[in-house]
Amino acid sequence: MRQSGLRVFALVTDAFGGHGGIAQYNRDIFSALAGCDGVRDVIILPRIGTTSPDALPRGVQQLPPIRGRIAYSLAALQAMRKYAPVSVVFCGHLFMAPLAAALARLAHAPLWVQAHGIEAWHEASWLNRRSLEMATLITSVSRYTRRRLLEWAQINPDRVKVLPNTVDARYRPGPKPDRLLTRHAVANRKILLTVSRLSSAERYKGHDRVIRALSKLLPEHPDLLYFVVGAGDDRLRLEALAAECGVTKQVRFVGYVSPDELPDYFRLADVFVMPSTGEGFGIVFLEALATGLHVIAGNQDGSCDPLCDGALGTLVDPENGDDLALAIRTALAEAIPPDNRSARFGTDRFAGQVDELQKLFHSRPLGQAPQREVLPL
Amino acid sequence: MCGIAGIYAYHYAANAVDRAELLRIRDYMAARGPDGIGAWHSQDARIGLAHRRLSIIDLSERGAQPMASADGKHVITFNGEIYNYQELRASLENRGHSFQSHSDTEVLLHLYSEKGEAMVHDLRGMFAFGLWDAEKNALLLARDPYGIKPLYYADDGWTLRFASQVKALLAGGKISRNPEPAGWVGFCLFGSVPEPFTTYQEIRALPAGSTLWVNRVGPREATRYFSIADSYCRAENVQTSDRVEDVKLAVREMLLDSVRHHLVADVPVGAFLSSGIDSGALVGLMRDAGHRDIQTVTLAFEEFRGRRDDESLLAADIAAQYSTRHTTRFVTEKEFRDDLPRILDAMDQPTIDGINTWFVSKAARELGLKVAISGLGGDELFGGYPSFRDIPLWVRLFRVPGRIPGLGDLTRLLITGIGHLSQISSPKAAGLLKYGKDYPGAYFLRRGLFMPWELDSVIGTEMSRIGLQRLNPIRHIESVLKPTPRRSFGRVATLESSLYMRNQLLRDTDWASMAHSLEVRVPLVDADLLRKLAPITARRRSHSKRLLADSVRVPLPRPVIERSKTGFTTPIQTWLQRDHRIEKWRRIPTLAAENCAWARRWAFQIAAGA
Repeated sequence: MRQSGLRVFALVTDAFGGHGGIAQYNRDIFSALAGCDGVRDVIILPRIGTTSPDALPRGVQQLPPIRGRIAYSLAALQAMRKYAPVSVVFCGHLFMAPLAAALARLAHAPLWVQAHGIEAWHEASWLNRRSLEMATLITSVSRYTRRRLLEWAQINPDRVKVLPNTVDARYRPGPKPDRLLTRHAVANRKILLTVSRLSSAERYKGHDRVIRALSKLLPEHPDLLYFVVGAGDDRLRLEALAAECGVTKQVRFVGYVSPDELPDYFRLADVFVMPSTGEGFGIVFLEALATGLHVIAGNQDGSCDPLCDGALGTLVDPENGDDLALAIRTALAEAIPPDNRSARFGTDRFAGQVDELQKLFHSRPLGQAPQREVLPL
Repeated sequence: MCGIAGIYAYHYAANAVDRAELLRIRDYMAARGPDGIGAWHSQDARIGLAHRRLSIIDLSERGAQPMASADGKHVITFNGEIYNYQELRASLENRGHSFQSHSDTEVLLHLYSEKGEAMVHDLRGMFAFGLWDAEKNALLLARDPYGIKPLYYADDGWTLRFASQVKALLAGGKISRNPEPAGWVGFCLFGSVPEPFTTYQEIRALPAGSTLWVNRVGPREATRYFSIADSYCRAENVQTSDRVEDVKLAVREMLLDSVRHHLVADVPVGAFLSSGIDSGALVGLMRDAGHRDIQTVTLAFEEFRGRRDDESLLAADIAAQYSTRHTTRFVTEKEFRDDLPRILDAMDQPTIDGINTWFVSKAARELGLKVAISGLGGDELFGGYPSFRDIPLWVRLFRVPGRIPGLGDLTRLLITGIGHLSQISSPKAAGLLKYGKDYPGAYFLRRGLFMPWELDSVIGTEMSRIGLQRLNPIRHIESVLKPTPRRSFGRVATLESSLYMRNQLLRDTDWASMAHSLEVRVPLVDADLLRKLAPITARRRSHSKRLLADSVRVPLPRPVIERSKTGFTTPIQTWLQRDHRIEKWRRIPTLAAENCAWARRWAFQIAAGA
């Protein structure tokens, strides 16, 4: 462990030993931070997760998770005393901003808040908003989330930076796995894929749109299949929709797939399609790009970022069924795309960016500033 | 004077700079720079700079931009004039720098290589530039102390784009058009959009007198290197002679020095001439500075020809006094009607003013001028506005009652609530107790167009709610008064120069003159002059225009000096009222009311999309 540098105290929902996109993102940030020369260590206090996660990166310490709100706040206060002096308070979710802001104020430390997606798109409660506005640095997962946040938060936009998701090395191109070809009896079939929860509370992912597009494509592509990976309470409705559109045989509801098996499902597919309207970023798009698939996404939300405004995949207006069908048709006709597209979001670049961001807390001016004065908003 | 633009794909995830987009941004500004075009891209295509040139100093190709330093480490795109470039160049040459051109742009490159960002302190002039430092891998944006030249930037979190005009950035086609409520609220409250806001969320102005670094994590927070408030605070501690003759002589020397600097050009420099002291004295000083052949131009209106309202007669007297080549340009209602669509198109951000400047610039250009001197800034510098008298008076009157909690709101509610009272009194009367108690509040009343409680009907409830929250008008005004000058003159001068002049007068002058490819120079808006003059003016109570009038060797005609400030009007309001294309305001009851000020109707029309 380094003897000097920043001590980052992080309040998060979960990180090491947790599941899901946010936990993954937190792990990526903390691993990168711990690797920075300017960082001494990272102390993490999670709300949920396992008590003893597997190997932690050097310089990262994760305290046992505490569920209850009050107990968590007390534990945070205690931990901050124990690990004083804290140089930066990191807040992993907007709903924890009031606690994080209070702790930052107590510790006379700058506040760093992370904005993921939908939680940052609509005006937060007064307390959450005021807490967020105390942040010295806000990192947002995409340009879209940044823009939405700036619509309601009274904060200097120059303080809001974008730190995109990165992609796990397990996602890489490979032949269609025999095991899955046999299991699903889909040899020599072209496969469209969507990976997401099927929640009736969030029907924005665009399964409906793909199912409708499929019925249009059927005459020219009778062999085409649509794999829906993911579980949730919206499945029955989608099954009914598939029946209504006459594509029951073409749509396969695979259900929940374990993280270990997921990369193989990506390899099984030819085109990843998810014309969503509610993505903060959409890490699945990166996973699809890393696997070497054609990728189709909606152009109304954070999805534009993993596709780099269309440079790495096709963006369509999610509300336009013809556009979507055309995009799928074109993707099926095209050659296999170059397989290094996700390198743009590689972990090395992510780590480099985290290093630059933590430098902001060392208050080193870039040039010789004539007079250091922060301008009013 | 030129148009500048740049795109910096600073984030690792961003696509490389789209060359076509950069050219679209650049070429939208064709009128700003009709004499030359240029674009430069780094080898890795992460940064591109572009330029449209109006050549005024070193007309040769060697002055073309973007310009790179000899070692290729620094590249600049620059809009403006550095009036002390010859002095700077001489001292740089003494220190071993060698020059390829005679342009002021090259001086900037050498100065940067020696001093870095601190170079801005040495510059006398009006400027906005983007400078790429390949060694630092970072872009420096900078803007002159007063904000004479505009500089807007849009950061989407991956890519930063900058340009001299908001509309040029939009023409690139890749910037969100989400409205910025604070910009719209500011426009409705003040009649112009207050920086750093624009009417678009993603586009912001680099504040006057600031620099901004952009590196691989995007823009750092802007750093202010100059403040008018600070200049007055310092001035208040400087002792000056009280002898009338000493003061006169000193002021003359300062003004002459500024005028001399503002005459630096390789093309003829003309002047706008009205019947006022400011422009008249400047023409006199131009002569005193040795400028013999001066082309002057005055705007006049056909309706007023030969009437008392016709200020062109007095202007002609001034022209005769200083033997200038003088032209009086008459504008008719027909010409106004024909030009109106072009005026609205050239108007970069919503504003209730600028039409006069449009026509006088048009006239200057017709005479073949590329550069004209304007008296803008005289009222701020010498306390010519009624606000120098009114604001301190209001504050004295309302300081005590204004402190009674709730009384201000109560009177406001009473006045606006009682139909009869709100009909006969102005909306501002309702705000006197609420706002009149301190300088920021009183200034808000003085310059206010709409009052906050009227905004819902003008721009809608949601826009006005978020906009008021974000702009926080009183705090916004307060922010320019830091540090706060002790005396009333310094306070009012700071407020007028940092708000009205910066956001309204200078912005309007920029778009209205650049639309005709005319550079307007403002010798009374000069940080160097302010530093020297403020110790003298800051000690006065109000009006010190006489100092300006007395600085000329050959005095101005007597009627010019003796005439009261509020002398002349223009028929433009009447023309606008008669124009059938402009009647959206008629739908709003308070605007349709007989006693409604025209500026409020015009503002509404602009906000509603004229």
